[in-house]
Amino acid sequence: MPKQKSYFFSTVADILIWIFLTVFAIIVLVPLVFMFTASFMPAKDIMSIPYPWIPKTFYIKNYWQALRGNDGSFIYVRNILNSFLVASVTSIGTILLCSITGYGLAKFQYKGRNFILMMILSTMMIPFEAIMIPLYLIVTNLGWQDTYWALIVPFLMSAFGVFLMRQFLLTFPDELIDAARIDGASEIGIFFRVVLPNSVPPMATLAILTFRSQWDSLLWPLLVIQSPKMKTIPLYIVQFAEEKFTNEGALMAAAVIASIPMLILFLSLTKYFIGGSNVYTGGKE
Amino acid sequence: MIFIKKKTGIEKKKARWGFIFTIPAIIFFSVFSFYPIINAFITSFYKKDLLSLSKPKFIGLGNYKYLIHSESFWNSVKATTIFTVGTFIPLVIISLILAVFISSRKRFQKFFQMSYYSPALLSSVVAATIWLLMFDPRGLANQFLNFILNTPGKDYKWLTSSGMLRLATIIVYFWKYIGYFTVIFVTGIASIPQSINEAARIDGANRWQVFSRITLPLIKPTTLLVSVMAMTQCLKTFSTQYLFTQSGAPLKPIDVITLNIYNTAIRDHQIGRASAMSIILFVIIMVLTLIQFRVSKAEEVQY
Amino acid sequence: MIRNKKVVIVFIAVLCMIVGLFGKTVELVFWTHEDPNRTPLEEAYIEEFQKMYPEVKITRVTYPSSKIKEVVLTAFAARKGPDIFNMEIQDAYPYVVKERVAPVDLKAIGLKSYDELLSMYVEGTMDPVIYNGKIYGLPLEVTNWCLYLNKKYFREVGLDPEKDYPKTWEDIVSTSEKLVIRDGEILLRRGFDFRYPYYFTEWLPLVVQLGGSLLSEDGKTAIINDEAWLKALQFMKDWGPQGKNLGSPTYQPARNEFNRDNNSVTMCMSGLYQIDRIKAQNPEFYESGEWMVVPFPVFENAVNDVRCNYYGHYYMVNAESSKEKQEYAWKFIDFMLSHPEDYLVQVGLIQPKNTLLDSEVFKNYPYADVFMSDLAKSQPVPLHPKGPQLEQLIREAIEDVMLTNVTAEQALATLKKKANELLQED
Repeated sequence: MPKQKSYFFSTVADILIWIFLTVFAIIVLVPLVFMFTASFMPAKDIMSIPYPWIPKTFYIKNYWQALRGNDGSFIYVRNILNSFLVASVTSIGTILLCSITGYGLAKFQYKGRNFILMMILSTMMIPFEAIMIPLYLIVTNLGWQDTYWALIVPFLMSAFGVFLMRQFLLTFPDELIDAARIDGASEIGIFFRVVLPNSVPPMATLAILTFRSQWDSLLWPLLVIQSPKMKTIPLYIVQFAEEKFTNEGALMAAAVIASIPMLILFLSLTKYFIGGSNVYTGGKE
Repeated sequence: MIFIKKKTGIEKKKARWGFIFTIPAIIFFSVFSFYPIINAFITSFYKKDLLSLSKPKFIGLGNYKYLIHSESFWNSVKATTIFTVGTFIPLVIISLILAVFISSRKRFQKFFQMSYYSPALLSSVVAATIWLLMFDPRGLANQFLNFILNTPGKDYKWLTSSGMLRLATIIVYFWKYIGYFTVIFVTGIASIPQSINEAARIDGANRWQVFSRITLPLIKPTTLLVSVMAMTQCLKTFSTQYLFTQSGAPLKPIDVITLNIYNTAIRDHQIGRASAMSIILFVIIMVLTLIQFRVSKAEEVQY
Repeated sequence: MIRNKKVVIVFIAVLCMIVGLFGKTVELVFWTHEDPNRTPLEEAYIEEFQKMYPEVKITRVTYPSSKIKEVVLTAFAARKGPDIFNMEIQDAYPYVVKERVAPVDLKAIGLKSYDELLSMYVEGTMDPVIYNGKIYGLPLEVTNWCLYLNKKYFREVGLDPEKDYPKTWEDIVSTSEKLVIRDGEILLRRGFDFRYPYYFTEWLPLVVQLGGSLLSEDGKTAIINDEAWLKALQFMKDWGPQGKNLGSPTYQPARNEFNRDNNSVTMCMSGLYQIDRIKAQNPEFYESGEWMVVPFPVFENAVNDVRCNYYGHYYMVNAESSKEKQEYAWKFIDFMLSHPEDYLVQVGLIQPKNTLLDSEVFKNYPYADVFMSDLAKSQPVPLHPKGPQLEQLIREAIEDVMLTNVTAEQALATLKKKANELLQED
């Protein structure tokens, strides 16, 4: 009898959990579905009550307007490529620089090591708005205004990235490193031939995080970029939203276009987005 | 240990290489983090107008004194506190619940994780644009509440009444990051050895007992990491509030410290005062992080 | 030998010329706000100007108008500002006061005195850029707003737009009450609605009409004449969701919805440039002639007959640019601005030049007369180094009365206290 009762309860609980997970998923996905459907509607349908959900006609004009821009320059295409370039280069730089630092902090004993680690970690707490203006001064003095350098270099390392790589490398087998040393490999050689190839999961996670935050960045590019051909996606969207001929439908189309590359990346690298985060737990499995 | 060991040539060489590997980081963070923050620290003791070319005036703790008596600063502290508490606690708790539920499923684990994660793929500009349309009085947010609560034609004033506006920013943030933290928890739970769970089950523990006595203590490091990350992120929130106020939402209820820093510098040109506020925020974040680490260290469970 | 010398001399001379041509290029950086109609026009002027002065190279950069303030400020703070820029005068005013911009170079634009320059412009329109006896900018546009209305919806509710258009703020309320369509509390169609965060431009005239003012004569006290302020704040309370529920800042901006002619708004406030925007965004609506422009409303028992405050964009020159750059910058600005009719016809911007106002083009331009007769009764937006903060305080007061239970009296008390504290600082 108690056994049956608990069986009954666990079935009910099971169903409730399914319902909860599904409903939550629907709620989370609603805004995305809204974005997608609205991108196929003329402006007057988007604000109608109740929201139609299924576009009456596929109003492809929105996409054409978003891509073409209000001035017909197709600059958005270039801006998307810029975002790609900046995000990719930053991600590659970040994984290299953060892993070499993380390696230096995890696998070597020397004076001041913990101090260096603490100092690096403390930068995680600096709000960007606090250092925006001094940073701007540095970048303009280096003559990087309106260049890719300004978008890339100040973000080539992150404290979190160093932390992530260090945590992972703490559990990296010493035997592998020592074996390479006995074989006479140089320290740099060890890093590139032994450590890097065996640290792909955390590096992928870090690369994705960096890519995403660069993809998202608005305030900084706004300050350092001037020419339309140097702009990144968020800058284009802000500008496009403000141009008086833009309607909500076209804006949503621009938003969908901006999200497609991330979506492709997400679907093709799902295991690193989702599975890769074991690195957060210190890599113990 | 180091003292006992006699340092050999190889050890010394190794130590040197370890240091060499951190040199790029030292240079990078000195230029792009420490110099600017020290610069901000020094500026916080001056009365300095962003536009004026005349020499800034040293006023010691003047800016800090001003802030302590400033209503707008305390309003920002309040707005930030409400936002942080209102966002990071639900974020941590609900992402943990979702993760536990997902982990208990044998199928569709990946599907749910991907669904919850997907909002994180959008950039803040896009997210704010979507939500601003949904929060329009004629938008989906009102339609949804009116349907659920059966209140046809009611306007919940999402972007105008203080409470709803705060809730709106919390929802946007929560929506964007819930999947991110869920995924971290799922992985944390997956790393618990299956044998421990099974042993407990055989001993007659029910689900709740398994969760509270085994899962929860074992994913403590993950919980700590998630809550520190979520809290720091919330304290530094900027773009949602910025984009909302730019689109006409009232400033006061969502005037978080970062936004106040930004307006004090950009709108009021008071860079000294803005710097002082930045330093205060920096210190607050640092202290809260240290407290979190201390508290969790003290309760460290052995397993 | 002599021949050789000659060759060398010629060679050196050619070299000098080449170096002179390429080495002495004057590069001017010109930042302005996004305005899709203006860009092709000014790009063409740049090309023409560069032909006239081959040694000059001009780079024109546009920013979203809501962001240009931040970008220019950061650049000036880092002393890397552009050579030429423009912003709304409220935002540009501190640059004048803090001497970050250079006074007009009379010689460069071929004038003898400031008086000669002033005589070219409509009286008063240069006031915002006169400081300590010098002139710091040349106007790209001076804009005041009038009331746009959609005739169809007027007729739909049995009103004759030509006769029954609102003349007073009381009319605005009564016609709006007839025009609104609601779903419960949610407004599907609004009558009129305000242009929300622009309180200095659009709302302050209400206070002035009722006899109040922002600052005292000596500029030392803020919020003058409580009674006027109270009435104006109460008007907003009655307007908003706490009162008659005729409009609110959370709806999409009225002027954008107006262009769409999609039954969501009947009246909005905008400048002459709106006509071009209607034409570009909704040519059918433009051609249909179902819209018209009428003067800015005035309270029935108004003390002062003032209309919408006007604001302006003035081209300014960075004071830290080299003398040579400054000279070319003013030459270029003067060259651009010597085409006021193009700016009017192609972009819908009014340069307050007397020659333009007397021209046939202007006289035949639709509704230009409505805007001009209003402009004659307008004041400029208040210019004050702390202007943006004062406007923020007014915004808070209005949002408090419209959207919360705060009464007009309470909101006024807070506003008055804070505004005066702000003025007293330093």
